[in-house]
Amino acid sequence: MTIAQAALTGALIGGLYALMATGLSVTWGVLRVINLAHFAMILLGAYLTYQLATSTGLDPILTVLITGPVLFVVGAAVQWAYDRLHVAEFTSLLVSFGLLIIAIQAVTLIWSADFLRMPGDINPYATESWTVGRFVFPVTTVLAFGLALVLVAALHLVLRRTFAGRGMRAIAQDRAVAAAFGVDHQRLSLVLGGVAGASAAAAGMVFALTNALSPTAAYEWFGIVFAVVILGGIGQVVGTFAAGVAVGVVSAVVSAAWSPATAPIVLFSAIVLALVLRPQGLFTLRSVVGAGR
Amino acid sequence: MQKRVRLAAALVALVAATAACSSRSDDSGSGSGSSDKPIVVGSTLSLTGIFAATGKIHQIAGQEYVDRLNKNGGLLGRQVQWKVLDDQSDQAKVGQLYEQLISQDKVDLVIGPYATPNILSAMAVAQRHNYVLPQHTAVLAPQLTYSCQFPAWSYGPRPNEFIPTQLFDAVASLPDAPKRIAVVTSQSGSAAFVTDGFGSDKTGMLTIAPQKGLQVVANVHYPPTTSDWAPIAAQVRAAKPDLVVNNGLGVDAVNLLQAMKQLNYRPPMMFALFPAPGPLLGLGDLSAGTLTTSLFQPDQAGKLGGDVQAIVDDFKTRATAAKLPYPVFETQAAASWNAWDILADGVKAAGSLDQQKICDSLHADGAQTTFSGKVTFDPADHNFWAGTETLAQIQGGKWVTVWPQDKAAAQLRGPAAA
Amino acid sequence: MRRYGGFGLAFLILAAIGLWGRDAGVPGFVVPLGITALFWIAQATSWNLLSGFSGYFSFGQAAYVGTGAYAVAVLTGRHGVSLVWSVPAGAALSGLLALAIGAVSFRLRSLRGEIFALLTLAVPFILAAVASINRTIDGGQGTTIPLPSVPGWIDGFPQLLFVLDAAVAIGALAVAAAVQHGRLGWGLTAIRDAEDVAEGIGVGTLAYKMWAILLSGLIGGLSGALYALQIGFVTVEGVFGLTIPLLVIVMSVLGGRTHWLGPAIGALLIVTLQDRLAASGYTDWNPIVLGAVLAVLVVVAPDGLYGRMRARPWAVIGALVVPIVAGYYIPYGDLQNWVLAGMLLAALVAVVPARWLPARLLRPPRPEPVPAVDRPAPPEPGPPGETVVECRSVARYYGGVHALEDVSLTVAGGELVGLVGPNGSGKTTLVNLLSGTVRPSRGAIAVAGQDTARLAPHRIAHAGVARTYQIPRPFDSMTVRDNVAMAGMFGRRRLPLAQARAEAGAHLETVSLDRLAGAYPGSLNLHQRQLLEMARAVASEPRVLLLDEAMAGLNPAEIDEAVEVIRRISAAGVTIVLVEHLLRVLNQLATRLVVLDRGRVLADGEPQAVLADPAVVRAYLGRQTRV
Repeated sequence: MTIAQAALTGALIGGLYALMATGLSVTWGVLRVINLAHFAMILLGAYLTYQLATSTGLDPILTVLITGPVLFVVGAAVQWAYDRLHVAEFTSLLVSFGLLIIAIQAVTLIWSADFLRMPGDINPYATESWTVGRFVFPVTTVLAFGLALVLVAALHLVLRRTFAGRGMRAIAQDRAVAAAFGVDHQRLSLVLGGVAGASAAAAGMVFALTNALSPTAAYEWFGIVFAVVILGGIGQVVGTFAAGVAVGVVSAVVSAAWSPATAPIVLFSAIVLALVLRPQGLFTLRSVVGAGR
Repeated sequence: MQKRVRLAAALVALVAATAACSSRSDDSGSGSGSSDKPIVVGSTLSLTGIFAATGKIHQIAGQEYVDRLNKNGGLLGRQVQWKVLDDQSDQAKVGQLYEQLISQDKVDLVIGPYATPNILSAMAVAQRHNYVLPQHTAVLAPQLTYSCQFPAWSYGPRPNEFIPTQLFDAVASLPDAPKRIAVVTSQSGSAAFVTDGFGSDKTGMLTIAPQKGLQVVANVHYPPTTSDWAPIAAQVRAAKPDLVVNNGLGVDAVNLLQAMKQLNYRPPMMFALFPAPGPLLGLGDLSAGTLTTSLFQPDQAGKLGGDVQAIVDDFKTRATAAKLPYPVFETQAAASWNAWDILADGVKAAGSLDQQKICDSLHADGAQTTFSGKVTFDPADHNFWAGTETLAQIQGGKWVTVWPQDKAAAQLRGPAAA
Repeated sequence: MRRYGGFGLAFLILAAIGLWGRDAGVPGFVVPLGITALFWIAQATSWNLLSGFSGYFSFGQAAYVGTGAYAVAVLTGRHGVSLVWSVPAGAALSGLLALAIGAVSFRLRSLRGEIFALLTLAVPFILAAVASINRTIDGGQGTTIPLPSVPGWIDGFPQLLFVLDAAVAIGALAVAAAVQHGRLGWGLTAIRDAEDVAEGIGVGTLAYKMWAILLSGLIGGLSGALYALQIGFVTVEGVFGLTIPLLVIVMSVLGGRTHWLGPAIGALLIVTLQDRLAASGYTDWNPIVLGAVLAVLVVVAPDGLYGRMRARPWAVIGALVVPIVAGYYIPYGDLQNWVLAGMLLAALVAVVPARWLPARLLRPPRPEPVPAVDRPAPPEPGPPGETVVECRSVARYYGGVHALEDVSLTVAGGELVGLVGPNGSGKTTLVNLLSGTVRPSRGAIAVAGQDTARLAPHRIAHAGVARTYQIPRPFDSMTVRDNVAMAGMFGRRRLPLAQARAEAGAHLETVSLDRLAGAYPGSLNLHQRQLLEMARAVASEPRVLLLDEAMAGLNPAEIDEAVEVIRRISAAGVTIVLVEHLLRVLNQLATRLVVLDRGRVLADGEPQAVLADPAVVRAYLGRQTRV
């Protein structure tokens, strides 16, 4: 029973992992940019949610209506900068790392390094849950799961069905040829960067609902998010979602059945095993776009 | 990209970097000799990085102390200057910076950094150069082997015995004393010892509980980077404890309480070992009655008398100006203050800046600390004096001292009603 | 060995500074800052040995540091074992760990870069969790390392640590230099550029990668063991955290990943910058400045600073030395600030456009010496008629698809066999089988009498098989001449680099590419790249040469030229299997035609007879064709 409940909440929090990872995965897969600044955008999204909710009394969930567009613009701007500066795969890792450091310090300067948490009267969601039968569904993680589903479904449909989406997949495979077919790489990459930014805003909002914020929280997401991105197949949105849920469930079940201390061992060993058995990524149905090594 | 723009960008970076690097002329040469040169105290603090939240508190408290000290005539008739460097929460930098402070900048005195691993690194450097090291927050006595290290916050030589014993004695005094406890422990060096003991000494919460007639119904260890608290909460809920003990740090207790509430469970009583004090208060009703170990709360100001109230008020002003969300002077700041007291007392008793003399004076006479009274240092106990800690409890949205009874500002409250 | 005397000298100078510097007036900041800098130089160089040279990006440097540090922590800290044993033990354990990681990852033929990155990222997490749980290792408590006793003639412990760190760092640099200039380095570069092509010309990729990761692990672990002494108190978060892996990547990419000195330059710059930022007292701005400098430098010099510095060495050295010397004499500001200013100025000078600097300071890059062309002895073609290639009932299945079924074929020495068939008939699959890129599902293949079905591709290359690729795949970071030299260096005859280069000249003449010998493949057009493919294939002195659609995309004039080249190669006695569509090419060259259709051999014989065969015509033009 405990284990079943843990598996459930694990799957739901996997939605948050997927929500964080999808933006990074898509920009990596399509635009060949490893954007560590994505974590900075999640952090900013979280802090902006906190600020808006505490200063204006706006419902924290609704803040995403403001932070989403704002971070859309930020994400697009960052992507534009990468394009102008011809930043390619490994260079992007470093440049975005520089941006991340700057962003974390900026957050520290504006909000201080201390823990910030929205008080209960402003944020009632942190402790709310729905009970169905013997199972409890915490509101915040259900929200994360739902948002992740929406994001993944929307991106999947766009990438498959629309011209813009096919254009993005074409860019991922061969930019020059795609341009010859009339695919405007620059506009598409702006849009994609913006979408990633907006998804970061949503992820940040959910994070702020449940957690006390501190500027160095961004570093704590690295391990899980990279694991989810690569496990799910870079650029594969559905795979990323599935990987997020899998990671969440495995961690939670091991924590409940055995010990939270062993969860990282089991999780990462399972990841190693999965990658050894299926090197193309757990959920890719065919090899990933773009020239591999 | 056009070369000119690139060049301009590089130039800007260069100028910015070297501008930032022009050090303020605050490093003095050797401190001995002329009496109108200030006494320089060197240290590092974690002003950026993962320890920055608490590091900031120590910076504010320390600066307040130094300002106050200088206003009252300084030390040995000289003004005191505090040279604090940012170690970026990086243990390797702590050693390097203390080495530079001592051997290159030739500071007159040093004081410890924040966080146990950093303190131990600094201790190694201080020991090599025979510098006295008062330190604020490392309480695991067996680890601190340097005889001229002086703790400002002490649970006595066996903290793994003191803390559980004090807690269990306190809750045993309640009419409906808890019988079943769940122990949820962070795998961090600063917290795990309370549960598991230290090294070959296995004394800790798990061994003391049965001796006091308590049954441990759940024993969960979690990594400090845990992000999913639901499984832990589910295990605790299933065990039906009377008292949940969270030997953890930071916001672990907040996350745990939240996760339990999401499962519609509220523990009858809760103890948090070294929480960040502010966030727990923000939980409102959920955290009412939570206990913690405390060195000082503002409600003690009256009992301690003297300047304490003024110190507390001044800190509040400074902390608010620094945008700290919880600008209250409590345990961490008090530990910092004690450390400075020890340093100042040692210098005064020795009458000079000679490190050996200071160390000997402290051993011989002890020190007078503002928040823990007169303390004595026995090298056999690694200088750890008998603990003066209290238990504090959240009542009415504030931390209130509730145990031991002679220091209590309010009555210890039992399990939450229904 | 003479080449490495410089490293010995560098170590002696550093040791002298460490041991007697204080008396000699060396500034006090050198030793503490030096310990940090030397640690990072060793770590970044260790990372670069595998990840920079071969391109397999590792996120797991912390695993080596942690293993080394914990070996010392457990052995010396908890059990009192002497450092003389625990430090090498740390290095050895770390090396074993590296081998284990390599054994798991490199055996996977289809392992892609990001998968390897994740595998290496997972390892520190696992080790950290194991250490936290296990009370004999750590149990969450941390371990104090007792101060080692320092011999009387050394000033103090930091000086001893400085000398030890210097030994490790200089050693690491020497190893990296040796690797880069030796066979291992060339092999790793080929692996980085095009791994399966490298395997095909005879580079034993698995062995080379294992060597690289082993060296990386040994150095990382050795340096990590000394790190335990540096921090004095070992905790899980302190050694297994993400800071170390991220920073080594930053330093190596900043300094330059293709040269052994690159990571050291990056490390020195970042360490000095961080130190000065910390000392400046402007705490609020430190990370912002650091992040900005990083981002700007990487954008301006994406291939790293070293490459730029090398192009104008005197300007750079001048820019570095002048501020330092000035700072020594001018009493304004800390000397370290002047050192940092010198480093930044040198970096700036390295990246500015050439016209901003006086020409005197710019030294044009020394042109690569053109080696004399050395005509290799003509290869023994073997008696004509001797079977060079034999396939017996070979089949290859991909899931349910029978790409090849029951193919039996022999090719005799000196023949020029045309392999034809409609699309999807299995021609490229057969070429892949012969070259070893894929293994047959069934049947046997023998080259020059040697059974190759179970051999690794590079061994098949050593047996005498060479192939070209339909889409040319040169090694982009090497010149045309070096591309060809690689085949000589790693092929059957395993020539030393100089001789391989000399013979490459001759092979380039054969394909009429000799005037482009110093160019890079990126500047070649398609035809030239295909000729390069052929030259590279021929340079390994193969017994049989597999040409996979070598004329794809060429215009008629170029085709004629290519046909001439192939004739010359065949005349030299090389057996050729030519996969082609163009009839007139086959008519001009092939002595024999083998027709494949849907995975089976349809016809095999003289070109005239085969082309007239009704079955063959039907296969090409459709079943309904009336012949």
